[in-house]
Amino acid sequence: MTAKKLINRTIIYALLILMAAIFLIPVYMTTVTALKTRDETTLATAWNPPDLPLNFSKFQEAFEYFGPSLGNSFALVGTATILSALLGSINGYVLAKWRIPGERFLFPLMLFGMFLPYQAILIPLFEFMSDLGLYGGIPGLVLIHVVYGIPITTLIFRNFYVEIPDEMLEAAAIDGAGFWQIYTDIVFPLSLPGFVVVIIWQFTQIWNDFLFAIFMTTEGNQPITVPLAELSGGEAVDYNLTMAGAILAALPPLLVYIVMGRYFIRGLLAGSIKG
Amino acid sequence: MNEFISEVVSAILFISAGVGIMFAYYFGSNWLLDTIFADRINPDGTVVKSYANTRRRVRPWLMVAPALIFLSIYLFYPAAATFYFSFFNANSTEFVGLENYKWAINNDAFRQAVFNNVLWILIVPFASTAIGLLIAVLADRVRWESIAKAFIFMPMAISFVGASIIWRFVYDVNPPGEPQIGILNAVVTALGGEPINWLNQPPLNNFMLMIILIWIQTGFAMVLLSSALKAVPEETLEAARIDGANDIQIFFRIMIPQIMPTIAVVMTTILITTLKVFDIVQVMTNGQSDTEVLANFMFRWMFRGTGDDGKAAVIAVTIMVATVPFLIWNVRRFSREEQLR
Repeated sequence: MTAKKLINRTIIYALLILMAAIFLIPVYMTTVTALKTRDETTLATAWNPPDLPLNFSKFQEAFEYFGPSLGNSFALVGTATILSALLGSINGYVLAKWRIPGERFLFPLMLFGMFLPYQAILIPLFEFMSDLGLYGGIPGLVLIHVVYGIPITTLIFRNFYVEIPDEMLEAAAIDGAGFWQIYTDIVFPLSLPGFVVVIIWQFTQIWNDFLFAIFMTTEGNQPITVPLAELSGGEAVDYNLTMAGAILAALPPLLVYIVMGRYFIRGLLAGSIKG
Repeated sequence: MNEFISEVVSAILFISAGVGIMFAYYFGSNWLLDTIFADRINPDGTVVKSYANTRRRVRPWLMVAPALIFLSIYLFYPAAATFYFSFFNANSTEFVGLENYKWAINNDAFRQAVFNNVLWILIVPFASTAIGLLIAVLADRVRWESIAKAFIFMPMAISFVGASIIWRFVYDVNPPGEPQIGILNAVVTALGGEPINWLNQPPLNNFMLMIILIWIQTGFAMVLLSSALKAVPEETLEAARIDGANDIQIFFRIMIPQIMPTIAVVMTTILITTLKVFDIVQVMTNGQSDTEVLANFMFRWMFRGTGDDGKAAVIAVTIMVATVPFLIWNVRRFSREEQLR
């Protein structure tokens, strides 16, 4: 290695480490703060790692405080994710493998639904959900997330199913399999990777959603993002508690990301460019 | 804890109910189709009249019907209704013509929000893309690329609310003389400076909020750009190198032009996200001290006092109209790519 190359290398590593540090310092501070009591979080000691053994009292406090909304979030995410994945799978199957009239228009419509800012539909949605008696609770929020999840889940599944060779389906059709039987016997069993991507995508999107949560739910029915935002709002914030809460709220999507990061990124690619 | 368990139980019931309704629809509608359009068959088994064609043509429609119906009810109707509401008074009972629009144009807070939104979309997509590209290029040359990328991508997994809360802590300020907890002020005072209230000094505070979105979106930009960079053919780089180009020339003259389509996708996608930014402003400042943006302004008009749907709708229409050009661009690009498949 020449001297010039060595210098180049050093600069690249130094820059990368600096970048990673900038991105990670907030995460580091959040974690150490959550593991401390208020007294330990002063200028002199704020940066220090927490004392051993680790003090999880703030997490316990946060868990009690956020318990009900965590439950709401799990109910919301579980239901909405499964439903929108199933719906997307069936829609994707139809769009990928069956000719239906007006297909040319369906596609742009789906994309329109994917990119439209939700602010554009919030006011009538608010009234509409009130009229239906679905405003304020988790069932209404599930419905909202399932419906607005249709475009992205359909597109991901469609792009996935396009790859299944038509010959396989034709062979089954010759053997007498109908629309449903082709789906249940051939397409669905091949869908696992598609489901993984869609479930990860929907899980993180819905779990992290704040806009629909704050507009469409009332006190007691809120998913975790709303009380989390409120807790951090006042003056003289207990940072140890809010940081513990932030970690608690971030843990499920982070776990998904850490365990299935590869698929997570693939979902993202599918969502923003194509599958 | 008990409450948590009961929530989980109700969640499970909920999921079963939802899945049940879905399957009931799919099987029910199929059964109906097969019953109504059953083939007419003689007792001896010969088919009098077959409706197989009708069944085949109707069935896909039954399958996509829920999606189409729900999307029309929940997407197209409300988008049109928002437009409609913008010409009506606070509770949508009286037609007021362009009054709400006149109000908006002459309202200082509205102008401030528009100005700030423009500032956001000028800075955030560009900064996220540039930093993401820099990291992608650098990481491409080191051995532990995937680890470096995984860390920088991590903020993507956290909610905007969670990220904002973390950054509230970074920006925290106490009166001078008192110990500073906020990371940034701890650094400033350690260097001998006076603590700064990052969030109530315009225009500084706007940039402080933008940093949060850049922090989140850079990972997204990096991942997409990194995969585009890897697709650049090695021969083109090699040819440039033989012609005596240095690394920087290769980067700007050879690589950038080739990944331009991806750069455009990344920037428009982040731009649309930026246009509807809400969570960050709501959590950090709620639009105080000249940090208002349209989405948060709309939220305030929807729930201020008894709420004013007319004015909130005008703000929504503004966001919608601002998004449309980028939306159309994205849809057209998508459709073009689909036709190539």
